[in-house]
Amino acid sequence: MSEAAIGTVRIRSPLGEFWRRFMRRRVALFAGVAILVLVLAAIFAPWIAPYDATTPDYGNVLSGPSFAHLAGTDVFGRDIFSRIIWGGRVSLTVGFVSVALGCAVGMALGVVSGFAGGFLDSLIMRFCDVLLAFPGILLAIAVVAVLGPGISNVVYAIAVFSMPVFARLVRGSTLALKETVYVQAARSIGVRALPLIVYHILPGTLPGVIVYLSLRIGTSILTAAALSFIGLGAQPPSPEWGAMLSDGRSYLGVADHLTVFPGLAIFVTVLAFNLLGDGLRDALDQKLR
Amino acid sequence: MSQLFLKLVFGGALALLSAAPAVAANDLVIGVDSNMPHLDPANTNDTLSQSVERTMYQGLFGFDKDMKLIPALAEKVDADETATEFTFHLRHDVTFHDGTPFNADAVKVNLERVMNPENHLSRRSLVSMVSHVDVVDPYTVKIVLSQPFGAFVNNMAHPGTFMISPKALAQYGKDIATHPVGTGPFKFVSFAADTVKTTKNEAYWKPGLPKVDGVTFKSVPENGSRFAMLQTGEAQFIAPLPAELVKAAQGIPTLNVVISPSIIVRYVALNNMKKPFDDVRVREALNYAVDKEAFTKIVFSGYAAPLDAPIPPKLAFYAKQGEWPYDPAKAKSLLAEAGYPNGFSAELWGATSTLAKRAMEFLQQQFAGVGVKVTVAPLEAGVSTAKLWNVQKPEDATMQMDFSAWSSSTGDADWGLRPLLDSKSFPPNLFNIAYYHSADADKAIEAGLASADPDKRAVAYAQAQNIIWKDAPWVFLSVDQLIAGESKRLSGVYYMPDGGILTEEAALK
Repeated sequence: MSEAAIGTVRIRSPLGEFWRRFMRRRVALFAGVAILVLVLAAIFAPWIAPYDATTPDYGNVLSGPSFAHLAGTDVFGRDIFSRIIWGGRVSLTVGFVSVALGCAVGMALGVVSGFAGGFLDSLIMRFCDVLLAFPGILLAIAVVAVLGPGISNVVYAIAVFSMPVFARLVRGSTLALKETVYVQAARSIGVRALPLIVYHILPGTLPGVIVYLSLRIGTSILTAAALSFIGLGAQPPSPEWGAMLSDGRSYLGVADHLTVFPGLAIFVTVLAFNLLGDGLRDALDQKLR
Repeated sequence: MSQLFLKLVFGGALALLSAAPAVAANDLVIGVDSNMPHLDPANTNDTLSQSVERTMYQGLFGFDKDMKLIPALAEKVDADETATEFTFHLRHDVTFHDGTPFNADAVKVNLERVMNPENHLSRRSLVSMVSHVDVVDPYTVKIVLSQPFGAFVNNMAHPGTFMISPKALAQYGKDIATHPVGTGPFKFVSFAADTVKTTKNEAYWKPGLPKVDGVTFKSVPENGSRFAMLQTGEAQFIAPLPAELVKAAQGIPTLNVVISPSIIVRYVALNNMKKPFDDVRVREALNYAVDKEAFTKIVFSGYAAPLDAPIPPKLAFYAKQGEWPYDPAKAKSLLAEAGYPNGFSAELWGATSTLAKRAMEFLQQQFAGVGVKVTVAPLEAGVSTAKLWNVQKPEDATMQMDFSAWSSSTGDADWGLRPLLDSKSFPPNLFNIAYYHSADADKAIEAGLASADPDKRAVAYAQAQNIIWKDAPWVFLSVDQLIAGESKRLSGVYYMPDGGILTEEAALK
């Protein structure tokens, strides 16, 4: 390799490389913008929502979409559009917090498992196998049944069933990273276990984790909505999307807007997170590089 | 080409042939919303199975479509002054479907079967006060009670004391539950949990009845499918028709929507022994805080009426008490007087059904209007049984407020008041989950039971209702209306106030 050849290659930072690749995926970019809008709407709900989410208006129940009420009103006369905006707070918070919690615990367990190996590795992985043996929603229902209904317990339930996936993912990357030359080099100059994990191994596991994180948020929003739909999640008068869907169910065919708009909100949000996840995977995947 | 033509003609003819009997058929099909577990009237706890049993069985007395007491297998009854001896004079012209004659011996066999604790029949409570049954002559039977019980004739009209053929009882034993043999207008044909078929009793004792060839009950739990059965003519009567579908049904020219009053009352039981509900001013405030008109409109799509006494108008000895008007300002001042100027927080329990949740959410909004912050907790049936009914001592009760419903299927004021509001009815004995205790109310309720004289009973129950209404142990809400759908070809099928269905006079044109 000659000096001249090296001179022609432009060296980009990893972040810059990621941006360049990500910006090329239009769909994922669009999904990312959609999520940004949803997040901003949730944060600024008090200023954006035209009505209060819980104040009833018994003189104006079950009315269809109009200029005054963009998505109509529900059985108590509450503005559905406002409830969807406020509900975004609940759904997005549950999505982010539960997955972040599951991810944090899962990463810690995974990196310890992969780094330590031996008995500890077997113990942690068999524990994860047990959790993974249950279908996610079933495990979540079991957890909520034990803790009692309520949105905070739904967060724990989703965290529990997200955790083993992250643990496995991180353990796999850790096993590979442990054998890389730069980790071996760090070890050979006497870097101790904890700094080795924190500064040299964990950053290497991040690409996989980030992709999975975004995919998982979509799943967890869907699970939270499902749990609320069957009455285990958000309790009234919380404007949670799944609960709104459940409330509107008995008016199907009479007042369809009660179910169409919350359903649309769930659909768009989950789809956006999944598309974003796909885009991130393509942009971060080492093998595609 | 010609083959195709033949096929078409042949197929068309077949279709016509198979369609023809359906049009001419004189069989009545009723679509209902749940299964019928079995058909032993003395062991039945659900109104639907009772409706099916009514096609084949009858009691000494019965109820008409308005739940008024009418004679059935007995022509009349004499009661003594103290309501401890009841002499029933039986009809002479009745035989069971298997040919066994109906007489005083049959009554004795039936009542002794229900009374016997070894038989473990769930309706034993209807005859638990009976000391012994005497056959006076073949068509006269005297029932002697161990304590006064003024509502006894109502118990003899309840499906739990329907008369079963003694011969069939001996022949089938416990299997009588799936081999009903009674005196009713229809005879048993077949039983499955979701379908029961009956056929016309040609030897029925009422002249000119029945007018249809048979009645079939089909269980179709899904609302839309049940409605579709009615639309296609597969069923001629469906109950219940969900309130949300009323508009759709009214738009179909071949159908009638039948709306009738019920004896199903809705209320919020308040724990009268717990703070802050032990203060009558707080209980009054909560009654003033709820807009009952809006409650019926929002929760029942308008198919309910505000409750104006502790028991519903269709129950015997109902006495109208007026209303607790919607007055949030008065509620707030009462709360302030009671020492809660800023309201308080409490938990509201209820069932997990869509309707219960909608009602609880509505109540939450209404109570918030007077500063009472309510957390809604829908409880699964098993949990609520443990937390409400199985509590051993009043001080162990954790319930604060519970959205409840009650329907007194004896049609009498006694079962509408005593199990819910007498101080001897605290759980686990009976169902006074409000732990309401008033010596005056107890006295009036018990006086109503101590006589068989309707005038004396009316006075006692009017007094009881007045005391309870003023004490406000509950937040009084509404009485349901029942909604059924029927084909315009059908007449004579009635939806009774307790949710039962009467088919004796059914006719199809």
